[in-house]
Amino acid sequence: MPNSEHIVSSFDRDLEGIQAKIMRLGGLVEEAITKSVQALESRDLDLAKTVRRADKAIDELEEQVNVDAARIIALRQPIASDLRTVLTVFRVSANLERIGDYAKNIAKRSQSVIELETVPGTAASLKRMARQVELMLKDVLDAYIQHDADLAEDVRQRDLEVDQMYSALFREYLTHMMEDPRHITACMHLHFMAKNIERMGDHVTSVAEQVIYLVTGVMPDDDRPKEDKTPYVHEA
Amino acid sequence: MEGSNMNDMSQFDQGVAVDTIKMQSRGVNVFYGDTHAIKDVDVDIADKTVTAFIGPSGCGKSTFLRVLNRMNDTIDICRVTGKTTLEGEDIYDPKVDPVQLRAKVGMVFQKPNPFPKSIFDNVAYGPRIHGLSQNKSDLEDIVEKSLRRAALWDEVKDRLQAPGTGLSGGQQQRLCIARAVATSPEVLLMDEPCSALDPIATAQVEELIDELRTQYSVVIVTHSMQQAARVSQKTAFFHLGNLVEFDETDTIFTNPSDPRTESYITGRIG
Ligand SMILES: Nc1ncnc2c1ncn2[C@@H]1O[C@H](COP(=O)(O)OP(=O)(O)OP(=O)(O)O)[C@@H](O)[C@H]1O
Ligand SMILES: [Mg+2]
Repeated sequence: MPNSEHIVSSFDRDLEGIQAKIMRLGGLVEEAITKSVQALESRDLDLAKTVRRADKAIDELEEQVNVDAARIIALRQPIASDLRTVLTVFRVSANLERIGDYAKNIAKRSQSVIELETVPGTAASLKRMARQVELMLKDVLDAYIQHDADLAEDVRQRDLEVDQMYSALFREYLTHMMEDPRHITACMHLHFMAKNIERMGDHVTSVAEQVIYLVTGVMPDDDRPKEDKTPYVHEA
Repeated sequence: MEGSNMNDMSQFDQGVAVDTIKMQSRGVNVFYGDTHAIKDVDVDIADKTVTAFIGPSGCGKSTFLRVLNRMNDTIDICRVTGKTTLEGEDIYDPKVDPVQLRAKVGMVFQKPNPFPKSIFDNVAYGPRIHGLSQNKSDLEDIVEKSLRRAALWDEVKDRLQAPGTGLSGGQQQRLCIARAVATSPEVLLMDEPCSALDPIATAQVEELIDELRTQYSVVIVTHSMQQAARVSQKTAFFHLGNLVEFDETDTIFTNPSDPRTESYITGRIG
């Protein structure tokens, strides 16, 4: 796709403005993931509250991105790569917002888990899984801004590791619950948190697919399990 | 480029094998004296389809459109080579009468050019010379129907005897559209038919084009990407006399393969 500028330079400025907001949104979401598991690990109720409150800013930013993108459609009637850019903006911002919701959920459950007796080792493995998703998110945002379809594909493949980590955690929690029924409540919460992180991975994967669509004009083959069954505008 | 272009076209042929080809050009070149205006162009115009020609000013859209009904014959310094057929018959065959050809392949020009006659006679001209009406009321019917299709009837029905040249620019353009559809051409060539029209008249002409498509082939030259996207099923992008890309309109406007097409339609430099 051409990287050259539009003859109408205000169009480029509009698009840059939107991309800057997406990057800011991505930054806030990364921060939410880190802090939500940090709150659990350091049993920090205030930090958990901060994450829950910060989700409002994420929602508002996503709303702003949608308004800006709708405005570009109305005023500029984008086509070809410009159209893909705008369609991608809608989906990517929605994915990021959902990841933010999961982080908020983790923070909320952290508050409950902190009140309970510690289940040894569980916070660290959850943090590892969150770290994996966070790195994928960082890479996919780089891929997005640099139009790097290869990096996006790499991120997409890495979601498999997240799925495997989730299965491992699931078995780990099951073991804890069977060993000591007093851990059941905490482990139920922890399991939902792990599930939340696994879902974050799916949304990161969806962003990766959007990047591939943005760059190539074609959605990647559905050769890996995906939660998102939304039909895409571009049909080969 | 010509090579990949042929590839594109063979894919396109497979993709829409059900389409019958109305007009076909192979290896067409057009020269104005030393100016090489059209360079080795191959195009298939499908029946019952709207084909849009897009491209920067001076790239040869009007020139190529005029190849399709031999309107270039009227330009002294113009020389056309290559083969163009209408339903398999070579339209440049010496046996073909250009006047008969232009009744089948009608044209609406870039600049409105009403005859210095009444509004009625402008529209009745074609049906009269081609003997398309039995009697006066027949002719009146054709004129009214044509003016309605061109979205002009309501504005002129009370002054059909007034001179066509006395209409506004946009009204003259619609008068020329009425004149072109009055002979029921099999192929209608329209060179920027809406450039002088307001949004309502534009919408009416686009509706007409869509209606004509059920029976005829329409080829439209337009500088409005939105119009090309709205009215056509096939789009051809011309650049410096070359046919750069020719594909389904959907493809051209969502994911064109040539960077020159992409730059042009998205309004980019280079
Ligand atoms: N009658 C003519 N005599 C000499 N040269 C001509 C004539 N008509 C067109 N040309 C030249 O042929 C080339 C193609 O012109 P053409 O009118 O086909 O372009 P176009 O794509 O229709 O442009 P526009 O969008 O401005 O109408 C141009 O370089 C033009 O100068
Ligand atoms: Mg022209």
